[in-house]
Amino acid sequence: MTSQKLILGIPSKGRLMEQTADYFAARGLAMVKTGHERGYRGAIEGLDGVELAYLSAAEIARHLQLGRIHLGVTGEDLVREHIPDADERCDFLARLGFGKADVVVAAPEWWIDVASVADLEEAASLFYRHHGRRLRVATKYMNLTRRFFAEKGFVSYRIVESLGATEGTPAAQTAEVIVDITTTGTTLRANHLKVLGEGVILRSEACLIASRLAEWSPASQAAETEIRNRLAL
Amino acid sequence: MTAESAARFEALEDQAERIMGVFARAGYERVAPSILQPADIFLDRIGEAIRSRTYIFTDPDGQELCLRPDLTIPACRIYLERNPKANREARYAYNGPAFRYQQGKPDPLRPREFRQAGIECFGVADREQAEAEVLGVIMEALRSAGLRGFVLRLGDLGLFRALLDALPIPARWRERLRHSFWRPESFHAVLQRLAAPPNPLPDPEVAALARDLDPNDVDGAEKRVGDFLDAGGIPVMGARTLSEIAARLLAAGADMREHPLSGDVVRLIETYLTIAGSPETVLRDVSRLASEAKADMGEALDRYSARLERFRKAGIGLHHARFAADFGRQLEYYTGFVFQIELPGQGVAGQIAGGGRYDGLLAAIGGPAGTPAIGSAIHTERLLAARGEAA
Repeated sequence: MTSQKLILGIPSKGRLMEQTADYFAARGLAMVKTGHERGYRGAIEGLDGVELAYLSAAEIARHLQLGRIHLGVTGEDLVREHIPDADERCDFLARLGFGKADVVVAAPEWWIDVASVADLEEAASLFYRHHGRRLRVATKYMNLTRRFFAEKGFVSYRIVESLGATEGTPAAQTAEVIVDITTTGTTLRANHLKVLGEGVILRSEACLIASRLAEWSPASQAAETEIRNRLAL
Repeated sequence: MTAESAARFEALEDQAERIMGVFARAGYERVAPSILQPADIFLDRIGEAIRSRTYIFTDPDGQELCLRPDLTIPACRIYLERNPKANREARYAYNGPAFRYQQGKPDPLRPREFRQAGIECFGVADREQAEAEVLGVIMEALRSAGLRGFVLRLGDLGLFRALLDALPIPARWRERLRHSFWRPESFHAVLQRLAAPPNPLPDPEVAALARDLDPNDVDGAEKRVGDFLDAGGIPVMGARTLSEIAARLLAAGADMREHPLSGDVVRLIETYLTIAGSPETVLRDVSRLASEAKADMGEALDRYSARLERFRKAGIGLHHARFAADFGRQLEYYTGFVFQIELPGQGVAGQIAGGGRYDGLLAAIGGPAGTPAIGSAIHTERLLAARGEAA
């Protein structure tokens, strides 16, 4: 943070970037890139005290965690995953109504004996007796998964980190259960998976989030107030 | 936080020397288990409280390894390596680092790298004798290091097992209760579920299938489950097998025919778990509860009394000891007597040492079933801090 400006982290690509820009523009805050068009810096027209930093959605979560940006727009799933004590480090200022996705526990449709997360522990201990190893859960949400299963009393599993095509892991026999995001459930169904009862870990959407660890100078506080007023928060 | 200053390092070394001296004089051979351990054994056996705090990584060969979060399992592995049949007595002592992730701010009394000094005693058939021996040696080691004013917290998982075995409960329900014992919230939920009319299968077609399966024809059940899936056009995939699904549906069918747990049985289990007090009053309370319930807990109660007798003979004072029926829910591998040595009123920082019997652990990591084993470890940083405060 070299300047006294408020730094706002904005998704740097895809639908999330467009929807963020639309959301702010609809409330009179037009975002413009500064410098080269493919650069990663920007500004909000008419708000000199604000600098935009275009970052990947996961990086925004990490920057909020460390206080490298004051505000950020990113998915709640990423914030909860990357920041274990998110409610202590961050303030969720607004849920923005786009980027909606549920983080869910899904298992093969043919497991007709497993209807809910509460059934997993017994199925897993039987699996252990038959196969001599724990049930594998494929996910990129390692922390969310561990916390959720601990709350639900499901312990006889191991996590297999999956960085893409998680829904294909049961068919590929690299995992038995998955924790992944879904919007309509179409991909899950196409892969013959079902969302388990009590298996919604988080109903996520894009949020505007403030980092409590950032350096909040009077100028950046004033800029934040201005943004909140414009967004009617 | 391990010994970041030279003075602290020397103090820890000096303390360890005294503790290890006591262990050696009691006949415990010093071993130095590997710090790197296969992750699976730990993750399977150690319980959620430590599982989620274990440092795990994958090496370039794709093997999952961990930094040992505890030295008991590594010591067990040495015992089995030297003695695969587990048919000889062995007494091991160790002093070395263990690693656990600690959330939040660094705290010198909850270091992520800490040293455990402990003993493990394998293959001693006279269980009560071994229990008195291990507890006695650990208490002597703490005294030799200068610790005073500690109290004993005791528990006995064997009593809980005996209570379940003596009650009129289907075997698979007992298994379910035992399995969830370590997680009080799940345990309560399981107990409530078994006390209500069972509805394990919300899908009415699956429920009807489960109700129809013949418990005496396992192959037939498997075939019917396969037909059911074929009819629904549901593909079978992955590592779980049709026979596992059929087995679970057979159990669900049996549950549906079973009478729910009676209110009396539920109350009895809940009452048992609230029993606490001096070891003698607990013996009286548990005996009374068992006789009121006409539950035969004779053998477990005899072992309990025999243990107290051995403690007396070994000169282990019990006037500051407190027994609680629900104590022992932290480490999943314990099977019987468990204990903790604490400085009262100091919370986690006052938990200086702990240990217990773990007769199932050797079998779980590839040894023969039923090998008697008991051990205990001292949290040496906490011991040092406690002595510093006393001085």
